[in-house]
Amino acid sequence: MTDFIDECRREWRRLGVPDTLAEEMAADLASDLAEAEGDGVSTEELLGSDPRSFAASLAAERGVIPVSPSPRRARRRPAVLVAFTALAALVLAFAARALLTGQPRATLVTHLSGKPGHHLPAASPFPFAPSGSVQRVFDLGNLSAPIEWILLVFAIVALGFAAWLWVTWSRSRPPGVPAA
Amino acid sequence: MLDLCLLAVMNEGPAYGYEMTKRLRERGLAIVGEGSIYPLLGRLERDGLVETYRAPSNGGPERKYYRPSDAGRLALAMGVSEWRAARDAVDAVLASVKVEVLHD
Repeated sequence: MTDFIDECRREWRRLGVPDTLAEEMAADLASDLAEAEGDGVSTEELLGSDPRSFAASLAAERGVIPVSPSPRRARRRPAVLVAFTALAALVLAFAARALLTGQPRATLVTHLSGKPGHHLPAASPFPFAPSGSVQRVFDLGNLSAPIEWILLVFAIVALGFAAWLWVTWSRSRPPGVPAA
Repeated sequence: MLDLCLLAVMNEGPAYGYEMTKRLRERGLAIVGEGSIYPLLGRLERDGLVETYRAPSNGGPERKYYRPSDAGRLALAMGVSEWRAARDAVDAVLASVKVEVLHD
């Protein structure tokens, strides 16, 4: 009996249930268990065999902690986390490789259209472009570096966020759900 | 359905957790137990369907007693009505059933 209630106390402490409320629930259970034992009813018959699940369920139903996700949903969450983490790692690897080797380099290409017979003015900011054509394409490859840096920063931030999600999930994992 | 049964037994008189278990078992509801009623009582309390107070039990330790609130009594009345309607409908379907079981 004492072991069951002690285990409940530990679970409530882990879940952040206020001490006064945890002690109140523990005292109520202890009184009921003592009377049940006198009637020949075992702890398992009255409260079940899984103190952690029982304690979490009781706290959730009383509104002391958020209701735990179903075990099925809890098992699904790591798959989403794994996919997110893998994507962030992939983007990081791509950006790092592009910055280190210069290949492949993303290019920023600008398409300009003009009316037939229209000529760019002599003082065009793109003097290397042929004038007078219907469509001109200017390859501004040197401007691609910032995109790779942006990807790199984005990937690092995403990986940090993924790490935080992993920590949060592992702390809130309901009893019986194995760590991924 | 168990929450309706809990409201029903505490409507007979305020009761603490284990006392409700005993009342239900005395009526043949043997499935009660294994921790099933305590979370339900917590939910009823959270939803405002029960009121609680503390008092000594037969000279014993102080216990937490439950009784239906006004909202709880209304929920009990509606639940009983719905249950009886469902039970009558099922009875009407099953009443005409005649089953012959052949033995080898």
